[in-house]
Amino acid sequence: MTPIRTYLLLGMLGSANAWGAPAQVAPVQPPTQAAPVPGAPVPAAPDARLALPDLSALAQKASQSVNITLDPSMLAMASRFLDSDDPQDAAALEIIKGLRGIYVKSYTFDQDNAYRQSDIDAVTNQLSSPGWTRLVQTKSRKTRANVDIYIMLVDNRAIGMALIASEPRQFTIVNIVGSIDLNKLHKLEGRLGVPNLDIDSPAK
Amino acid sequence: MSDDLENQLRAALRPVEPSAGFAARVMARVEAEQRRQARRRWRIPASLAASILLGLGLYLRVHQQRETAAGLEARRQVIEALHLTDEKLDLAYQTVKEASGS
Repeated sequence: MTPIRTYLLLGMLGSANAWGAPAQVAPVQPPTQAAPVPGAPVPAAPDARLALPDLSALAQKASQSVNITLDPSMLAMASRFLDSDDPQDAAALEIIKGLRGIYVKSYTFDQDNAYRQSDIDAVTNQLSSPGWTRLVQTKSRKTRANVDIYIMLVDNRAIGMALIASEPRQFTIVNIVGSIDLNKLHKLEGRLGVPNLDIDSPAK
Repeated sequence: MSDDLENQLRAALRPVEPSAGFAARVMARVEAEQRRQARRRWRIPASLAASILLGLGLYLRVHQQRETAAGLEARRQVIEALHLTDEKLDLAYQTVKEASGS
């Protein structure tokens, strides 16, 4: 299964599949692509890298903060130190092969609501720009956790992913630049303690 | 009195034949001295070259250690980033599961 089909499967969570009922899941909006105008200048390829806001104020309030910036050179360096004989490393190696960057900011707090909506908006505003498509939006009443997953599509090819998870005591932004194959991420599941999402088995 | 002094001086300063092998010993000593000087001439450049080599070796070792540390740190960050991504994808999955269960 191609990555894009996996994305669409993920996006079609509203329809019958292994993920279950669609009540709290936003349907995927297919990207609209305008027909090219002859003679018009070719627009530059959109960049899936987000300008992550300066959240140093949050970092000061957080009991634990993670700030990961892996540019192409860092990814290349990391790949030299990932052991292909180790299953977890091999899966990670496979995932990062087509990537040009991984950027993560995650803050954990000792009390609820330590971050503001404007912190989230600073990121989501960028995701309303052309190219980005919201794939999944989940809101849990039980855990009060909201997760939004976006992908950037160019010519029906995913060239980036953004994930914003806002929980009462944790705020996480993940921005992956490059062609990420969720099937590969799927391989990592279970190995890293995450259960199988069963996303590529529509027949079940 | 002055004759005595003169005779004594003559006796003291009379030409003496060098002992056998004197010239060879002198020449050997001259050669040894020349060799010592030659060695002394190379001592500073050799010390400099040794210092440079030692410094270069140390630099390469430190550079390699730093590169290894940076590589291991990059690896740790990749694993952590993928862990976090997985964790949040799972959070979305759990929410969907929760919705389907209710």
